[in-house]
Amino acid sequence: MAEQDLVASGGPATLDTPSVTPLVALVGPPNSGKTTLFNQLTGLRQKVANYPGVTVEKHVGQVSLDGGRTLSLVDLPGVHGFSARTLDERVTRDVLEGKVAGMRSPDALILIVDVTRLENQLMLVEPVLEMGLPTLLVLNMADELEARGGAVNDEALAERLGVDIVRTSARTGAGLDGVRTYLEGVADGGTAGVHVERELSNVPASNALPVVDAFAARRNLVRGIVQEADFVPPGPSRLTERLDSLFLHRFAGPLIFLAVVLLVFQSIFTWAVPLMDGIDWMVATSGDWIGTTLPDTWYRSLLVDGVWAGVGSVIIFLPQILILFLFLGILEDSGYMARAAVIADRAMYRVGLQGRAFLPLLSGYACAVPAILAARTIDDERDRLATIFVTPFMTCSARLPVYALLIAAFIPNQPVLGPFMNQRAAVLLGLYGLGILAAVFTAFLLKRTLLKAQPTSFLMELPPYRIPSPRTLMLRLLDRSKIFLRRAGRIIFAVAIVLWTLTQFPRTEAGPPDIEQSALGTIGHVIEPVIEPLGFDWRVGIGIVTSLAAREVIVGTLGTIYGVETADEESVALQEILRRDLEPGAAIGLLVFFAFALQCMSTVAVMRRETAGWKWPLIQFTYMLLLGYVGAFIAFRIF
Amino acid sequence: MVRAEITTVPMQLPVMADQDQQEDLRLGDIPMRQEVELVSIDLPVELAEPLLERGVLPGCRICPVRSSPGGDPIVSIDGSLLALRRETAACLCVKLLSSLQDAD
Repeated sequence: MAEQDLVASGGPATLDTPSVTPLVALVGPPNSGKTTLFNQLTGLRQKVANYPGVTVEKHVGQVSLDGGRTLSLVDLPGVHGFSARTLDERVTRDVLEGKVAGMRSPDALILIVDVTRLENQLMLVEPVLEMGLPTLLVLNMADELEARGGAVNDEALAERLGVDIVRTSARTGAGLDGVRTYLEGVADGGTAGVHVERELSNVPASNALPVVDAFAARRNLVRGIVQEADFVPPGPSRLTERLDSLFLHRFAGPLIFLAVVLLVFQSIFTWAVPLMDGIDWMVATSGDWIGTTLPDTWYRSLLVDGVWAGVGSVIIFLPQILILFLFLGILEDSGYMARAAVIADRAMYRVGLQGRAFLPLLSGYACAVPAILAARTIDDERDRLATIFVTPFMTCSARLPVYALLIAAFIPNQPVLGPFMNQRAAVLLGLYGLGILAAVFTAFLLKRTLLKAQPTSFLMELPPYRIPSPRTLMLRLLDRSKIFLRRAGRIIFAVAIVLWTLTQFPRTEAGPPDIEQSALGTIGHVIEPVIEPLGFDWRVGIGIVTSLAAREVIVGTLGTIYGVETADEESVALQEILRRDLEPGAAIGLLVFFAFALQCMSTVAVMRRETAGWKWPLIQFTYMLLLGYVGAFIAFRIF
Repeated sequence: MVRAEITTVPMQLPVMADQDQQEDLRLGDIPMRQEVELVSIDLPVELAEPLLERGVLPGCRICPVRSSPGGDPIVSIDGSLLALRRETAACLCVKLLSSLQDAD
């Protein structure tokens, strides 16, 4: 499906006039330092978007060259080959072949490899050079090669491959000038000094051969090239060996793994709180200010109660998301995440997932949207679908205000396990557990029904441990926050306006109607029969309907319905009214409903994009809604 | 598109002097730090392909260097560390490096 999207429109565009900025594509295997080099060359002058039809991120940046010239650089996903088995590989191939709609085919390529693993990394060299474009080979991490006693003859390698070669250390920035010189050559319109004609081998085009032979041929070719270039592999990295014997230790390994998970949690839930309170305060204060500044007209309440409060309810999650991504970024760039995936794989495999699902599932505790995007690294399509299907069961931060309100209203603050835990904390923990159980059960179910498959394999390269580059981390954080705000902001903005409008009509002589008579109240009454078996009345019904857009919206909606000013999860007035209107069993049921149901438009939207269709989001939405309904019904009967 | 005919990867070398080594030896049976040569991959092509892309090809040298806490092997190949499941390792047919081979 996605392939059609990519291939369908627009043939390869060509560079017609010299005034068009030249386009250079950056290719390389994962963990070769590609993105670090990209950031060093483009800095803040980059844009992130998605390729048409698929959500593989497209990073395009501008490089300023001497004499005011500029050049566009596109950072492609890290791939091992172009077999088009994964979305990343397909996109990379399509970009290189100029098959992506709205994008010219590149004028030149930069192939970057981790020179400490030259043999392994050069598996990509043949398919890349087959493109017939001027290519610069960047031998990255050259300093590490030398430090560990390895060597390679650049001239011989350049001669053999018919490409220019530059050694870099993307981390320290050494060798960057060489890359710039090459880019200037490309900008000069030329292939001057760049060889395009090359004869690598007399092996026929690889797709004409059976898969294995093609790889074997490529492999032999690489071995020959590496030998001719006098490549001396570096000694093993002592640091990596030492750290691995700790992080992958039979007993210490899992303990450190748990400690890391707890640290991430701790950071999301405690360190982010002061920042979130600060944002909350700023939104409230500025909302008040707008309220008092604007004349008392119809649009004042739309702006203050609708738009401002709605958008504020999203911005408040930004600190959590940033802290989460800072941690995940450090874990990933340092090389630990690959080890964590290996540790998690056994447990994940048992429930029908795999080790790479660990990162998205952990991200899901902050927000399912970036978590679903993070699942793109899962190379097996069924595993990826199963992972993103269960990700919304992770207790995301949007559920917390709802949990906090209902728990504070209905659960007594009494100790259960001595001084260590009170009933409220126990219920909260139980809700987290419920989410995990539902995810495990669902993954298990999926892998036996819709996503039934042969056992898949799990392969994970363990890159050497490295110190993450702060610059790359910061740029990524900037990226993430932009994407989050743009996506979430749009939906919440729209929903806030729709909701507000529904409370304003039909108009009465005195102005807006009572909430029960409004269009929104009518909706509540219409669905009341459906939710009556759960012990919910029309007011909660409205809350559930509005929270279909985003879970936390229910808190503000209930506040509006009950006419409680400044309703938030700590509002005592709202808690009291809820206690009067809702039986304890129904309150527990409502908690269970929120633990299971997929009340998040952003998630549905991102699921549609990631699965290229409505089928999966519809199945997921219906399934989670049913699970929530049944769960709430059972809870209402029990308690 | 599955190519059934190459379910088992060919390229076995002709019979060697030491017949015992030719027995069905799998990567999973190899002790730590013992380097071996990959003979064939006993996996359907769609599962073998990711291995092939990472240089795990008949004729390559693999050395188990560590075991994950869950008991899965971590091997060194071409100077890279690769983690795989023991189920996968049990499908990789290997042979010990004879002195004859070491000379080459």
